[in-house]
Amino acid sequence: MARYWKSLNNNSNKQKKSKSFPKATSRRDFLKMFGFGMASTFVLSRCKNAAHKAIPFLIKPEEITPSKANYYASSFFDGDKFNSIVAKVLDGRPIKLEGNELSPITNGGINCIAQASILSLYDDTRYRNPIIDNENVSFSEIDKQIIEKLNQIKSEKGKIALISSTIISPTTQKVIDRFVKKYPSCEHIIYDPISVSGLLEANHKLFGVRTIPKYYFNKAKLIIGINADFLGTWLSPVEYTKEYITNRKVSETNRDMSRHIQIESGMSLTGSNADKRIVINPSDEQKIVTNLYNYIAVKLNKETIDVASCNVDIAEIGEELLQNKQQSLLVCGTNNVKTQLIINGINQLLENYGTTISFKKRLRTKQGNDRLFKQFIDNLQLYKAVIFYDCNPCYNSLFADKLCDKIKNIDTSISLASVPDETSILTKYVCPSNNYLESWDDFIPQTGIYSLSQPCILPIFNTRQAQSSLLKWISSSDQYSELVKETCKKEIYPKTDKLLVFEDFWTLSLQKGIVEFTDKFVNPRFKYDLSSISIAETKELKPELQIYESVNIGSGKYANNPWLQELPDPITKVTWDNYASISQKLAKKYDLQTGDIIRINQLIEIPVWIQAGQASNTISVALGYGRRVSGKSGKNIGVNIYPLLAHTHISIEKTLHNISFATTQQHSSMEGRDIIRETTLSQYQKKTSAGNERHKEIEKHHQSLYNKYKYEGHHWAMAIDLNACIGCNACVISCNIENNIPVVGKEEVQNAHEMHWLRIDRYYKGNSDNPKVVRQPVMCQHCDNAPCENVCPVGASNHSSEGINQMAYNRCIGTRYCNNNCPYKVRRFNWFDYNNSDALSGNLYDPNQMTNDLPRMVLNPDVTVRAKGVIEKCSFCVQRIQEKKLQAKLENRTLRDGEIQTACEQVCPANAIVFGDLNDKNSRVYKLFKEKRRYHLLEELHTLPSIGYLTKVNNV
Amino acid sequence: MKTYFYKYLVSFLFIHILVNINLLCLASNPKDLPTKDNKLGKRLYFGLIKTGDNTVNCASCHNINVIDTFNWNPSIADLTLSTKNMDSTTFSKILLSPLGKRISDAHKNVQLSADQIVLVREYINSFRKTGLEPPKMKINRLLLFIFLLICIVGISVDLVYTQIIRYKIIHVIVLILSFVFILKITIEDAISLGRSKGYAPLQPIKFSHKIHVGDNKTDCFYCHHTAEEAKSAGIPSNGVCLNCHELILEGTNSGKFEIQKIHTSVSNKENVQWIRIHKLPDHVFFSHAQHANVGKLNCSECHGDMSEDHLATQSADLSMGWCLDCHRNRKVNFESNEYYKGTFEEYQKKFKDKMIDSILVVEVGGENCMKCHY
Repeated sequence: MARYWKSLNNNSNKQKKSKSFPKATSRRDFLKMFGFGMASTFVLSRCKNAAHKAIPFLIKPEEITPSKANYYASSFFDGDKFNSIVAKVLDGRPIKLEGNELSPITNGGINCIAQASILSLYDDTRYRNPIIDNENVSFSEIDKQIIEKLNQIKSEKGKIALISSTIISPTTQKVIDRFVKKYPSCEHIIYDPISVSGLLEANHKLFGVRTIPKYYFNKAKLIIGINADFLGTWLSPVEYTKEYITNRKVSETNRDMSRHIQIESGMSLTGSNADKRIVINPSDEQKIVTNLYNYIAVKLNKETIDVASCNVDIAEIGEELLQNKQQSLLVCGTNNVKTQLIINGINQLLENYGTTISFKKRLRTKQGNDRLFKQFIDNLQLYKAVIFYDCNPCYNSLFADKLCDKIKNIDTSISLASVPDETSILTKYVCPSNNYLESWDDFIPQTGIYSLSQPCILPIFNTRQAQSSLLKWISSSDQYSELVKETCKKEIYPKTDKLLVFEDFWTLSLQKGIVEFTDKFVNPRFKYDLSSISIAETKELKPELQIYESVNIGSGKYANNPWLQELPDPITKVTWDNYASISQKLAKKYDLQTGDIIRINQLIEIPVWIQAGQASNTISVALGYGRRVSGKSGKNIGVNIYPLLAHTHISIEKTLHNISFATTQQHSSMEGRDIIRETTLSQYQKKTSAGNERHKEIEKHHQSLYNKYKYEGHHWAMAIDLNACIGCNACVISCNIENNIPVVGKEEVQNAHEMHWLRIDRYYKGNSDNPKVVRQPVMCQHCDNAPCENVCPVGASNHSSEGINQMAYNRCIGTRYCNNNCPYKVRRFNWFDYNNSDALSGNLYDPNQMTNDLPRMVLNPDVTVRAKGVIEKCSFCVQRIQEKKLQAKLENRTLRDGEIQTACEQVCPANAIVFGDLNDKNSRVYKLFKEKRRYHLLEELHTLPSIGYLTKVNNV
Repeated sequence: MKTYFYKYLVSFLFIHILVNINLLCLASNPKDLPTKDNKLGKRLYFGLIKTGDNTVNCASCHNINVIDTFNWNPSIADLTLSTKNMDSTTFSKILLSPLGKRISDAHKNVQLSADQIVLVREYINSFRKTGLEPPKMKINRLLLFIFLLICIVGISVDLVYTQIIRYKIIHVIVLILSFVFILKITIEDAISLGRSKGYAPLQPIKFSHKIHVGDNKTDCFYCHHTAEEAKSAGIPSNGVCLNCHELILEGTNSGKFEIQKIHTSVSNKENVQWIRIHKLPDHVFFSHAQHANVGKLNCSECHGDMSEDHLATQSADLSMGWCLDCHRNRKVNFESNEYYKGTFEEYQKKFKDKMIDSILVVEVGGENCMKCHY
């Protein structure tokens, strides 16, 4: 068996004595508490129960039934990534966002940021009123002043700039166009915080269209990613994951899978899932790509590009690519136009255009133009008015500092932000926008797909949708919602099959959230001579800087989200921080250890993290941290790296300081056990039980004196396909939101007190310079022979007649015996009152103010909020099971397979989790349990878990 | 060591006494004293000043205290609220020659001069701020508890310092008895903590279940219409009331006064704030749809016979033992629901083979913790 090892960094989570724990109780305290306890029991019992009010509707709306959830299809777009969502609205409050299964883009998948964005609706720091010079005013007042100013500028022929992130909404675009028409001196400037200008420019040069084509990862037999984290963050990760995984799943009947090679510098989510990972420094990227181009060009008798040779074995990759002509796909995440040109060239040589890449559908989520934005910054003094529309360039752009300094000189600066950010606090006028869950909107994320967004709740504060503000300022009386409907009627409806009359079509579209329409577009011709490209040789020896987008925080827009901050990074498992990932070699050179703080370019101080599989001379840092203006959960968490966006080579020096990280996986090591079972594709093709031979052997040894449980009705079980799981964390965040899992904060994570019911264990294997990564989602295994059940002195943990290991919180007295006896370490203990749910105050521990009135609105009323001193763990989303069972009983029918979806299963972009009834012989989970790949975690302990894992198959 | 013990005992008792005195103080909420005019008004209200034939007085129908019985007539607090925006001529018109049948019957012998009406109205208005007067204190377990505590303190003091009582056995008996009773009271009260069987608060609108369910035979699900489909049975919205009361504007007992409240609340857009009676703890998930629709339980099995009483009363203690009693002994509607038949195939077979004739709730998982707690 290959040698697995846990982590390079053994000194994070330094054991600190927590200040929050009280000292041991003395005899005196005990007597005091005893006396007070007696007294308070009596006093409480004498008090009349407070009268609770029951307040019905005046006139009940037909579609609302108290205690029954409504679901509204909508869309999430934060200027960066698009997700089709379904919002669950219970008793008037949106409480959960899930993937829309009708969406052809995301197919029911959804990423962490989109899910967690529901908390921004209940963000305590939101603007509650329009603001002029830090004074609350009314909308009529602010409108009057702004219109006056704009008209004045118009008459003086002064310049106005409207800065925004990418706009993919046709109606918003129309409103902006009307705005520009009314104020002709207005320029609309688009920038993307995480720019793909390089790719857009390359496509423009080669094809004459400044756009991103659709990549079909499901049609490719061989996928090569070059510094493109397409499963985690690149362009449209949920969509790509869905497609990627269709070719990666194997079964008894389909024993073939695609092959994935990742060439990258830092260990990314995508790289950790690759069959083969090649580590390079970013400066070598262009050379390697060009060499690859030349290799293929030579074989196909095409012209080559002059370049020095590189140290990566190009021939092997080149041969594989040539074998998979028309069935391969090369993607590259660089923002360098030349590299992107060559990548396009390779795809063109391999005839991938038309098969795995198509311009018939084009991704519209990135349209930023770095050049125009830079021009704007350079000529800032010329502008008399600047309007910031849904963007925060004072934080997330390269020119943040410059802009911050000069913004005060601009006569009229207007922000349309909904939450105070680095930009809006500097502007004179703030016209707060609604949260997107309070707004109407429409999006065309991809050509041919029209997605609607509808309000799920009335605006909580005195805010107004940004588009309505723009409409107001051009003195238009149009309602934005009406304009959306008009766009749909005039531009989308005629392009559909028109089977319904428009009103019905509109209602149906709102219900489904997404409409497909035909978009005529001819694949553009390739027209560029690549051989004219000249590749400059770099001879820099200084460490290189690679800036990447983190899976959890993204561009930093949602940094003030404690759920996302506490979500462990898919690779490092670090929470509440970003860091400079460095290789062991570099660490040795600079005498660094994990947690030591380094200074980069005399500018930025950041702690280092020694990462396995990191390119030897490269430092990788995640964007999105170090917000200066944000709520408590985002402010000064981590380090802002945007100022270094343009740097490739950096100088570093060690400082005398260090910090300790809060990681969730230090204590997990496979310790020589086959926790994750693996095999290779060739072996799997020969024998489907490859890698899982021990399963049969262990099952033979299962003997017990006790009777087996007999499940008369249902026997709930879950199958997790380790081959499909990419470790994107979507399930973890979904579980957190569904089950009211508290946020405990950095200090408590350091004490290993994180409360996540579902975690994704990550193990490294092999050479630490370029290890193979394996992952496994672990939650309560719902054992039939549960070790936790036997040791509970009060029977709070016991077995249900449906195979669920139940946890009765109110019975739990907090001995933690079960926790101690659980071999999977999935039980979590409430060390404090994280939820403000104790009867007596004083135990509250809420570093992130999640128990304030507004954030509490997000709690799921169908799940108990746990108090201090009780154990909690995965319940198989029993509230969902109960709900659907009742539904079946009410409709007088049996349950359908797949009807009950646990929270983790629902959102999984890779469909790695399948939940169902083992007693139902036709269920998917039953069939998966019949697969030869199925095994259980630590099955040699004879715990008989209800969760089955399917072995991982590597296509090496 | 011994002195320590006494110290603790004394301090412990001291805490008890302090807490209880506080409670007593809270209970006797001091009120604004009536002014001189109010005194006259009060005398008129209670019929102590002779007006006309004086066979009726206001207080005989319109209570000024908080009462726990059902009074069809509006209380003085109701009166002050409903006449808040009335000018004096309308007020005296309503008082002396009202329109509704019920009220004109009751008010037909009222004879008050214009000045007197002003005085009465002032007296009524004095309740606007304070609300109804609290009921008089009754001797209850609290006083008994305090008495027992005093006993313990007294006897302990005598035992250690004064030593008036000669026989130590008396000290011991009194101490033991007091402790036992204190313990008994504490335990009993602790058990009833959070339970409220028999709770029947007065509601903002004097809605009578007896008249609607008993006399008029309205189906429970007509008003509580979400009971068949959702977790919550739902307090009917005003819209549901108005289905009938758009036309029925006067009740036999309450006259127009109570029904008018429904209309006022709709026109003022003020929701009716009912007092919640049945309240399960937050960690209990109870679904009306499951019990009333799937289980075909009669509402009265949990809620008692609503047609007997005007006031809605909590008839069950809603304790877990009470729930489990039913879950253990009740039969499931096995044969009539496809869900049970299809899911529990083995039972179904036994049914067919006539090996069993019924399935209890407990046999389909009625005792699982996560049936109700999750």
